[in-house]
Amino acid sequence: MSDKEEPEISRIQELESTNLARDEIRDEVIATKKEVEKQNELLAKKINEQLVQNNIKSFDVVGAIGAGKTALLEKICEKISPKYRILVICGDITTRIDADRIEKHAETVQINTGRECALNAYHINQIVKNKDLNDYDVIFIENVGNLICPSDFILGTDKRLIVVSTTEGEWVVEKHPLLFRTSDIAVINKIDLAERLGTNVEKMIGDAKQINPEIAVLTTSAKTGENVDKLIELLEL
Amino acid sequence: MEESLEKLENLINEAKIDSQKVREIQINFIKKELKALHCVDDFIGEFPTFIEPVHLGNNVKIGDDVLIGPGVYISDNCEIGDYGEYTNTIIFDNVVLGENFKLENCIIAKGSKLTFNNLKAYNCILMGQTDSIENLKKISF
Repeated sequence: MSDKEEPEISRIQELESTNLARDEIRDEVIATKKEVEKQNELLAKKINEQLVQNNIKSFDVVGAIGAGKTALLEKICEKISPKYRILVICGDITTRIDADRIEKHAETVQINTGRECALNAYHINQIVKNKDLNDYDVIFIENVGNLICPSDFILGTDKRLIVVSTTEGEWVVEKHPLLFRTSDIAVINKIDLAERLGTNVEKMIGDAKQINPEIAVLTTSAKTGENVDKLIELLEL
Repeated sequence: MEESLEKLENLINEAKIDSQKVREIQINFIKKELKALHCVDDFIGEFPTFIEPVHLGNNVKIGDDVLIGPGVYISDNCEIGDYGEYTNTIIFDNVVLGENFKLENCIIAKGSKLTFNNLKAYNCILMGQTDSIENLKKISF
C-alpha cells in the first residue's frame, strides 16, 4: 500500500463505519457523522421550502440499477410534458446515459457522483441555487441505482418513489426495509414479466405494506405502459 | 465560446481590470455557452463528482474527493488538488491548485500555480505562482 493510500482508506473507513474507528478518535468520528447527517436534513428542509414556495412538485425516485426508474420517468415525462415544465436531475456514478434518454421530454441535469452511491442534499442544493425556479413546475430526481445508500440522505422532495421490479425476485422488498419505510409510493415494475418468471408479486405488495402501512403500492410496466397513467394520478400530476 | 474566453483572458490581464465587464462575460459564458461544451470524458484521476455543465480540457489531473460543478470550465494541462470544490468557476490553461480549495464564482488566470492548501474564495480573480496564501493575488469583482 502506498503512503497516500493508507491514510485515505483509513479516513474512508472511519467515516463509513464508526465501528472501525480507533478508540482514540471514535468520539470525533461519531460527532462528525452526526453533524453530517444533521446538515443534510437542514439543507433538505431548506430545499423543500424553496420548491414549495415556487409551487414546484418534487419527487425523489429510488431503485436498483435496471429496475426501470429511467424507463418510467421517460414515460411519465412524455405524458405530462404538455402540461408541466419539468426538470429531471439524474444521478449516476458515471455517464450521461439516463439524462440523454429523458432529454426528449424534459430538461435534464446529470450528476456523476464518481464513487458515491447516493445523491445528497448538497448535490441538489448546488443545482437548485443555480437555477431560476420560476422556470419549473415539476422536479424529478432520479437517484443513483441501489436500494441501500439513498436511505441515508433525504433530498428535500415532497415525496419519494421507490421502484423495484419482478426480475429482482420477490424477496427484494423484505431485504430493504429502510428504504421502503422512507418512501411514499412503491412501484413494482416489469409486471408484464411476472407470470413468465413466477415472481410472487402478492408477497412483494404484502411486504411493502407490512414495512410501511402508509405506502401506496402499484404494479406497472414501463415497457407496455400498463398503469403509467395510474402512477401519474398517484403522483397527483 | 473561444471568443468569450479570449475576451475574459484579455480583460483579466489588463493593468486596470473592468470588474463589471468581467462578471458579465463570466456569467453569460457559464449560463449560456457552457452547457453545449459539457465534457467530462477524459481526465486523469479517480472518479470525482461532476454536476453539469462541466468542461474539462486536455490533460487535466483531478485529485481525490473533488466536487466540480455546476458551471465549471477547466482548460488544458490543469491540476486540481484533493478535496476541492468548484462552482461557477473558469480555470485557464496550465493552472495548479492545492488541496481543499473551495471556489465559487472565480476566475483563475492562466499559468497560476497556487500550491498551498485550504483556500475559500468567492467572486474573485486569482493569479500568481506561490506556495503561500499570503502572496496570492486576489481581485474581487
